[in-house]
Amino acid sequence: MKILIIEDEQQLASSMAAYLAGEQYLCEFAATYAEAIEKIETFQYDCILLDIMLPDGNGLKILEELKQENKQDGVIIISAKNELEDKIKGLQIGADDYLTKPFHLPELSARIYSIIRRKQFSNANIVIQDDLQIDLMAKAVSVNNVSVVLTKKEYDLLIYFMGNKNRVISKSTLAEHLSGDFADMLDNHDFVYAHVKNLKKKLYDAGCEHYLKTVYGTGYKWTE
Amino acid sequence: MLVISVPVYYFVVDAIWKTELDEHNKIIADKSTFALNQLKLSDAQLMSSVALWNSIQPGTNIEPVHAGTKVKDSIYTIEKSSTYSSKPAIDRFRCLSTIVTINDLPFRFTVETNIEESGETIAVIAIVTLFFFVLIVVGLLFLSRRLSNTVWQPFRNTLNTLKTFNLHRQSALSFDSGNTKEFEELNQSLNKLIEHTSIAYKTQKEFTENASHELQTPLAILKNKLDVFLQSDDLTEKQYLLAEEMNNALNRSSRINKNLLLLAKIENNQFDNTEAIAFDALLLQSIDILKEHFESKNITIELNIKKDVVLNGNHSLTEVLINNLLLNSIRHTAVNGIVIITLNQQIFSIANSGIKALEERLLFKRFSKHSTYNGGSGLGLAIVNEICKFQQWKITYNFENGAHYFKIYFS
Repeated sequence: MKILIIEDEQQLASSMAAYLAGEQYLCEFAATYAEAIEKIETFQYDCILLDIMLPDGNGLKILEELKQENKQDGVIIISAKNELEDKIKGLQIGADDYLTKPFHLPELSARIYSIIRRKQFSNANIVIQDDLQIDLMAKAVSVNNVSVVLTKKEYDLLIYFMGNKNRVISKSTLAEHLSGDFADMLDNHDFVYAHVKNLKKKLYDAGCEHYLKTVYGTGYKWTE
Repeated sequence: MLVISVPVYYFVVDAIWKTELDEHNKIIADKSTFALNQLKLSDAQLMSSVALWNSIQPGTNIEPVHAGTKVKDSIYTIEKSSTYSSKPAIDRFRCLSTIVTINDLPFRFTVETNIEESGETIAVIAIVTLFFFVLIVVGLLFLSRRLSNTVWQPFRNTLNTLKTFNLHRQSALSFDSGNTKEFEELNQSLNKLIEHTSIAYKTQKEFTENASHELQTPLAILKNKLDVFLQSDDLTEKQYLLAEEMNNALNRSSRINKNLLLLAKIENNQFDNTEAIAFDALLLQSIDILKEHFESKNITIELNIKKDVVLNGNHSLTEVLINNLLLNSIRHTAVNGIVIITLNQQIFSIANSGIKALEERLLFKRFSKHSTYNGGSGLGLAIVNEICKFQQWKITYNFENGAHYFKIYFS
């Protein structure tokens, strides 16, 4: 899978690539507006990570260009601005998602995963790992064809792990994912533990055992 | 001065009067003597004429001078009561007693002329002086009132304009300078001062916003590098825990940064506050999201929420306000505590059980710590306060019946 990272900050681009490389994503870079335009005209990408503040132009213009040429690449806007207007404008032009800096890489990975799944398997978007089946459209989970009832948060966590297979995800990162801005305002992140424990138990009870592992005491890892 | 002028005036007037009367007396004496000499009367006739004179001519008296009496002239003032009037009035007289020669005989000629009594003179002068004094004072008052009304008008205008100035709102001021040069200068100086202050204020505000923006990128780099670091194959548990602690600190600095940015934006009026907000719906939604955190501390929530509370303001800011207050109550309520949330069209209040009152003065200040808990950004309540100010709501804090009350009055 090919991903284009349009980001003028070298350090950020390389961290993203390093994290995503483990997921069999092939990353290419564009640091300027001109470079980005050249790349999107020549190649096709599964997902484009677009920083809208570029030294030589507005990233939203690149998005407009893409939509004009009717390209199907998924686009995630990455911005240092947490402005509702920018967000709305970006999504209106046709971006698939919007992330505000600073963000955790597992969050980015999970979002890329969802977008690519949606783009590629628009009708039958079903993830299968051994006896576990997840219908992303219906948001339904089953093990050995027996349906497992998950709460919204548990389902959310499951998808998050799907997008970060074989990755160590810390409790604080999960807390931020689960409660957004609230997470770091809360005393402790034990609620993460409670949700993960419930998810684990439900999957275990359904007969799906060793995918979700606890590592280093407080981190989690979904293995294949 | 006026008090001193009264005796001075008196002496001057009295002196002039006396001199004039002395002259007048002298003329009468000379004229009478001359007339009597012209008549060329015999001695007997003269004596009878003198007797007649003395009986009918008031104010003068002619007497033959006997040998051995003083023959010096004298001028004096006497006071006597009138003999012809029944009224007990005392008159003052200016007298001249002089030796005249009629038919070669020496006579003492005495002239008395009525002169104003000193008391009366003083009284009249005092009254006139007082009258003018009062006139001057009243006139001055009137004049100064009129002057201050006209001359100071531009100054007053400037003052009124200054009173409406609000550095926060950066409203432009225009002074009406009139024609007075001094006021024009004053207004120019004020304009300059305001301009400098506004620029300094703006720079400071922009600095906060720019600094926060600039910090986002290095924070993002740190965060992402840590995420990559966690994936290292040869990571020990100790290293992992260190990284996680770094992660927590990093999250906290991102949050402080984000909150500072939010504060700067509110102060820079970058939000629209004319949206209609369904306050009750927002509140219930936030409570629902945070429910598990109330439950994890076994906090009982009591809700007194009226339906259809619609207010004017900014939607996302109001959400921030509600969340900050709810999180505040979760954080500072002890396990098994109670939180009471009340909402109607006039008031929104959150009460949580506590032990002792907090200092209201410091409560809404930035970075002022109240509890031993130091995981917060120190900006939560400052943001709440700033949002209330922005939406023209009034927030109060008080401690009663073992509970902290945060009340927001709409309108």
